[in-house]
Amino acid sequence: MRVRARYAKDGRLRFISAIDLGRVWERALRKAELPIAYSEGFTPHPKVSFPDALALGYASTGEYVELTFAAPVDVASAVARFNAASPPGLRILEAVEVVDGAPRIARWLRASLWELRYPTQHAGVLDGGVRALAHAEHLPVDRERKGTSTRLDLKPALHMIASHEDAVRVILHHTEPPFRPTEVHQSLCTTGGLTALEQPRLVIRVAQGSAEPSGLCEALTGQPLPVRPHDHTAATS
Amino acid sequence: MPQIHASNSVWPRLEPLLADVRKPARYVGGEDNIVVKDHASTDARWLLIYPDAYEIGQPNQGIQILYEILNERARTVAERAFAPWPDMEQLMREHDIPLFSLENHLPLRSFDAVGFSLAAEVGYTNLLNCLDLGGLALRAEDRADDDPLVIIGGHAAFNPEPLAPFVDVAVAGDGEEFVLELDALIADARTRGTWSRSALLAQVAEIDGAYVPAFYAPRYTADGRLAGTFPRRSGVPYRVPKRTVSDLDRWPYPRKQLVPLTETVHERYAVEIFRGCTRGCRFCQAGMITRPVRERSKDTVKAMVAEGVANTGLSEVGLLSLSSADHSEILGLCGELADTYEGTATSLSLPSTRVDAFNVELADELTRNGRRTGLTFAPEAGTERMRRVINKMVTEADMLRTAETAFANGWRHIKLYFMIGLPTERDEDVLGIAELGLKVLAIGREYGRKNKVTVSVGGFVPKPHTPFQWCAQDRPEELQRKLGLIKARVASDRNLNLRYHDPEPGLMEGLLARGDRRVADVVEAAFRSGARFDGWDEHYDHDRWLRACEQAGVDVDWFCHRERGEDEVMAWDHIDSGLERDWLWSDLRDAVREKPLDDCRWIPCYDCGVCPGLDLAHQTNHDGAPRRTHLPLYAGQS
Repeated sequence: MRVRARYAKDGRLRFISAIDLGRVWERALRKAELPIAYSEGFTPHPKVSFPDALALGYASTGEYVELTFAAPVDVASAVARFNAASPPGLRILEAVEVVDGAPRIARWLRASLWELRYPTQHAGVLDGGVRALAHAEHLPVDRERKGTSTRLDLKPALHMIASHEDAVRVILHHTEPPFRPTEVHQSLCTTGGLTALEQPRLVIRVAQGSAEPSGLCEALTGQPLPVRPHDHTAATS
Repeated sequence: MPQIHASNSVWPRLEPLLADVRKPARYVGGEDNIVVKDHASTDARWLLIYPDAYEIGQPNQGIQILYEILNERARTVAERAFAPWPDMEQLMREHDIPLFSLENHLPLRSFDAVGFSLAAEVGYTNLLNCLDLGGLALRAEDRADDDPLVIIGGHAAFNPEPLAPFVDVAVAGDGEEFVLELDALIADARTRGTWSRSALLAQVAEIDGAYVPAFYAPRYTADGRLAGTFPRRSGVPYRVPKRTVSDLDRWPYPRKQLVPLTETVHERYAVEIFRGCTRGCRFCQAGMITRPVRERSKDTVKAMVAEGVANTGLSEVGLLSLSSADHSEILGLCGELADTYEGTATSLSLPSTRVDAFNVELADELTRNGRRTGLTFAPEAGTERMRRVINKMVTEADMLRTAETAFANGWRHIKLYFMIGLPTERDEDVLGIAELGLKVLAIGREYGRKNKVTVSVGGFVPKPHTPFQWCAQDRPEELQRKLGLIKARVASDRNLNLRYHDPEPGLMEGLLARGDRRVADVVEAAFRSGARFDGWDEHYDHDRWLRACEQAGVDVDWFCHRERGEDEVMAWDHIDSGLERDWLWSDLRDAVREKPLDDCRWIPCYDCGVCPGLDLAHQTNHDGAPRRTHLPLYAGQS
């Protein structure tokens, strides 16, 4: 039986790596005594798969996982048991059973809605920066890698951007190479003209899904998530 | 008295720095089974520190056990801290962030008692760094009367002198009962509102096993030898006894083991199946200072494993002890646990140093599902003569037969542990290590071309409270030469993997292990010149330590490379491990005569001194006999 879930990684847990998070998942499933299936072979591994990895330090309410169970489970009670067994900062938000042969969830993860929370003293200036980004034709950002700097254009990846109080919310297409929230910040400092903008104090991936004219269509439930925070009611705790 | 509020938490200042350090998970806490209490509703506050990196210290049994039993007290809180990695230390110093706990992220000075677990000597400079980062003066005499108590425990505390000026209390032996007694004193002082370190120390000194270094002073003879370490005030004992817990079934900890969020050196639910060891290996400090043998019953172990796995979700269970195959019910225990977990993802492991077919049988039992990769044995020395000297009684025929059994049963990789630099060692003993490794490999080849042997070689460091405490330690150059002999002999064989350590850190380990109070100046000088994480090859700087010795006027040769006389006073003679000094000396003489000594679990008592001194005896179930609480000698009393 396959179950697909959207989960949150936040609090202290945002400081652990994707590899560590995999181990935390395995232990929480064991502690919850859920009948997770194991791979065959010399070193059996629990069948828990993650379509992508969240960079260390970011919080998220938009992470996804696919679980294969060796026996049928009641999804609602499995979620409750898992959330009771998992450490603070890791909890399943939604889960659905998927039929055999259904395509992997990775296929539905085309864009991310990010929220960059800034120190409150910057709240007044964010809107100007956001407008500049929205209207610019190109958004050149520099990416340092192994001592060499490459200039990339963020604009094609930028679906929508908005600000609200101390936060900037942005929907980024999953492109190759992918763009990161740090590059949105860089763009706000340069093209956006916010030269004195400090680093965001917290970056949250709100959800993943497909980019629609109205915002983001969340991958698991199809729930529409507008880029403007005051337009929507979804969890951004 | 320090004011304690949640607002003292360093978390808001720490959090923004975590993006700039390696492995930030080391500093965040948040682990499964963590205990977070509000300090406002407690009377006694402990900070337990393992002075090494989180991933080394987090699995430490001593910390886990004391954390749990202290936190079981409603009005006591115990939190943990570890040594910050140098990148974090630098940021903490730049941003004026003190050493903090992982539970509430409170500064060290928010606690009443700061307890360090010292498994080994290499943590000493990290201990000083923790005190310094915590905002305490390094030397106890320079601290204020309202500062917390600084306590050390663990095996290295059996010679506390090289740390004596920096600590308030040292305790040798088992910590369970001791911390609860000390906790009661602390809680009493706090509830009365009369916290005074000096007044409290006078009371602490009356606890059985508490050594308060400030109440003792070493005296030296004209030629620089130690004349003795003597009480400076009345009412403190001439010799401070170790603490020994007598019924491990009454202390079934850890029950809710802390589960790390990030990778550590041991990710397993660990249960001690017994404490103590009487195999009598003469180099082994652990085997000497933890006597007598106290077993946990099979039923207690099984219950602990079931509860421990359920509480942690860990997939590996370690049945720990100094020689786990020696538990009187080990075969039944392994069989029953293997039955319980057969077909599940839970694996069992049994670290053991025994070299015999029985050990292979146990390992087979624990790996019924067929995951047979590496098996480890510790012959410790390369020739039978050398093994008679160190009392590791295994013949070459035993070793080869054991290897044959292991390879025949499907094990593919055998690891062998050895030491060089042992007393009376000759080059033929050193070469014997290579020869034995090659013979084992030859057997392995008969069962598979790809079968491998790893020979791991360490330099011997003489330790206090062992028969070899009088012996000279080999110089690093000599160890290097001996390693060269082994390397030359095994160089040609790709399936024999030789592993060894740089011998220089072992010299400082030896100095800290057998040093007296004068060596404290070396530790401080090394710390002040930047020494940290001395157990890590990438951080250890031998020249820095040699300069520290010079600065402190300490002659390493004299402490480490000199054979000591029978009557020489040792820096640790006032710490009573229970072992009779006369017995240790006679056992050393037997060693030099290549005369082995059998395990006193199966032969009559040979009077090492521990059991009558502690008024207890082995607690085992060998031969199916009912549990004895006294040796046969004392049978009339039981």
